[in-house]
Amino acid sequence: MTLLSADTPLGSRLPPVARRFSVEMFAAGGAKTIHNDAEAARREGLPGPVAVGPQVAALIFRMMRTAFAEGWIVGGKASLTFRRPVGANEGAAAHGVVTERRPEGDKVRLTCEVWVETEAGVKAIVGTASGLVPRAQAEPAPD
Amino acid sequence: MTGEAGRTRVARDEAGARTRFEEIEVGKDLGEIEWVVAPDDIDRQCAMDDDAHEWFLGDSPFGGRIAPPQIQYRPPRWLLSRTYNVRGVFYKWEFENVRPIRPGVRLRVRGRIAGKWVKNDREFVAYEAEARDESGEVVFRTTRVHALDVISRAAPRQGSGIDSGVKPERI
Repeated sequence: MTLLSADTPLGSRLPPVARRFSVEMFAAGGAKTIHNDAEAARREGLPGPVAVGPQVAALIFRMMRTAFAEGWIVGGKASLTFRRPVGANEGAAAHGVVTERRPEGDKVRLTCEVWVETEAGVKAIVGTASGLVPRAQAEPAPD
Repeated sequence: MTGEAGRTRVARDEAGARTRFEEIEVGKDLGEIEWVVAPDDIDRQCAMDDDAHEWFLGDSPFGGRIAPPQIQYRPPRWLLSRTYNVRGVFYKWEFENVRPIRPGVRLRVRGRIAGKWVKNDREFVAYEAEARDESGEVVFRTTRVHALDVISRAAPRQGSGIDSGVKPERI
């Protein structure tokens, strides 16, 4: 069941999704990577192991799936910038605000400003994501 | 990102020499990969993302089990790795979920290098990919950007990295 509808006011906040990462989550079958090994990270110029970017972004995707349900699975779009890495043992949370509503075919596309913020208050990922919701019942679809 | 004097960029890793910016050919066809999502792949993706939603475990409104859409991250990355050894860091990710990704369905994922540029003394490569099912219908589209290195391009390439830009082709 979608949490959003065509009537959702702009400015509405999506329920945040939070997670604490740990280096064990990035074990990679025993291979040493920038996500689980301090020396591997240091050689690449990182201060320490960092969380896998797509796994951090997955906080946004879970938030969007919860908010849009089917309208995220089919019709979901995202445009994300990874501004800062999240530490492999750091906590982070995805946030979103509905910023735009636009008819699209027989549905309505709601666009959200989305971001992932670390527990230190750093915006690690920023961007937009959107999904589809049914049109309001009183609103006819265009011919 | 950092770029202190005296630092170096990794020149090679276990997969061989790291790709240099000058070697990347804009417009290059990255080829095609055939990809069938297995139920175990979905299990692993759900565990990685801590998202065991019922649609990913059993039935869904789309008729049967589906995969989390972000499972699409890896095949385009494998395509990049088959041509270029880029470790770097992930910088941008755009995508469109056109149709559900279902287990057991044969997808063909094709990619190409979409661009490259230098910004803030870092080198970037963009690549795009599209997946189609056996009917030829688009399942997802994506464009990614990777920074070739965390360290400034002014730093020389020398020494070995432990991690590699060439990744195992599994979820």
